[in-house]
Amino acid sequence: MVNTRRKVAFRWWSKKSFWFWLFTSSFLLFIRFSKGAVLLDAFSIFSRPFWPGTAQKEWIVNGINLEQQIRIELLEKDNHRLREILKLKNSITKSQVSAAVISRRSRDFWQQLELNKGSNDGIKKGDAVLGPGGLLGLIETVTFTTSRVRLLTAPATKIGVWIERSKVHAVLTGVGTNRPQLNFLEKMPDAQSGDIVSTSPVSTLLPPNLPVGVIQSINYQNLPSPYAVVQLIASPEAIDWVRVERTNDKR
Amino acid sequence: MTRDKKRVLYQLLGLLVPFLTLISPAWISISGVGPRWAEIWLLPWALEEGPVAGVFAGFCLGIVLDGINLDGSTQLPALILFGYWWGCLGRKSKFSDRSFVLGFLILFGSFISGLSIWLQTIFQVDGIFFNAWSFYTVLAGGIVSGLIAPLLCTLSLNFFFKGKS
Repeated sequence: MVNTRRKVAFRWWSKKSFWFWLFTSSFLLFIRFSKGAVLLDAFSIFSRPFWPGTAQKEWIVNGINLEQQIRIELLEKDNHRLREILKLKNSITKSQVSAAVISRRSRDFWQQLELNKGSNDGIKKGDAVLGPGGLLGLIETVTFTTSRVRLLTAPATKIGVWIERSKVHAVLTGVGTNRPQLNFLEKMPDAQSGDIVSTSPVSTLLPPNLPVGVIQSINYQNLPSPYAVVQLIASPEAIDWVRVERTNDKR
Repeated sequence: MTRDKKRVLYQLLGLLVPFLTLISPAWISISGVGPRWAEIWLLPWALEEGPVAGVFAGFCLGIVLDGINLDGSTQLPALILFGYWWGCLGRKSKFSDRSFVLGFLILFGSFISGLSIWLQTIFQVDGIFFNAWSFYTVLAGGIVSGLIAPLLCTLSLNFFFKGKS
């Protein structure tokens, strides 16, 4: 009797379909347990041209800004109420007016800006001028339609400030360079580089708690008291529009 | 145009000095410090018109410039001094064809007037007698004025102060 059957062993690993299903199922398991690693990467590559443009991003950023603005307003009102209870000087009876810079001389001996709004818009001598980021200077002179800003960097500009972190008071003096000098009133002030400098909450000339700058370095060797070098937050060299805080209180 | 008419025109041109100072175009400045336009206008005027007119023009320009600058320092003494000195110089010789000398006079004038402002600011800022910033501003003002003065002063001397009276 002739056995027609070939003497070949059945080898399951030689089946193509076996390998196909093994590969497919292990791939699916890999995706399942890696939480879709390869799949999502591929999706991000293919969908890149359809990602939301900058316009949508701006909406979101604007929304965040609006939310922060509302929060600031609420906090300011709260602050105002508390300061009234404490009978502290208040300058929240103020309104802001935005003005364009029509002449800018921020590097010469006279470091000043000319604004396109003046006493017609209720601007008075001594009003605070703010750029994006913080205080830029004070109104020095006013005409009917223009006003002149003495920048914080101008020589002999002096304002009372404090370091919010350690409640140290000091005098910010312009020396002509881009970075004004912070003269401390005590021998060993609690200050370090990186501290935020803002207008003093007990100031009678300026609205309280306006951000001014950041301390860069401190010279403890100076006599009679140490001084610090302050980098202003608002840079007058690149600003076209400023805000003037009109204070309506009596001086 | 007669010489008298041109003279009036040059006086009117003096009105541009405060405006140019206010505009302070960024492309003619050495990192923010522009030319001293008052000296550049004053030099041809004083050279041609003599010390009295020079002193008077320097006085007028000084008053106007102090009006548009921050309080605290004045350019008046330096401008009066240079109005007088350049007026005396002009009587002795003709400068209209020596542009290098004109540039040097403006460089010197701007430098000295910058020094006079520096001296005034020393007394305003406590305890700083020499600072690099003031020296830099004096130098930059002098150099940028001295660089454009040969062109502008020679042109105005040739155009406004030549010809029959």
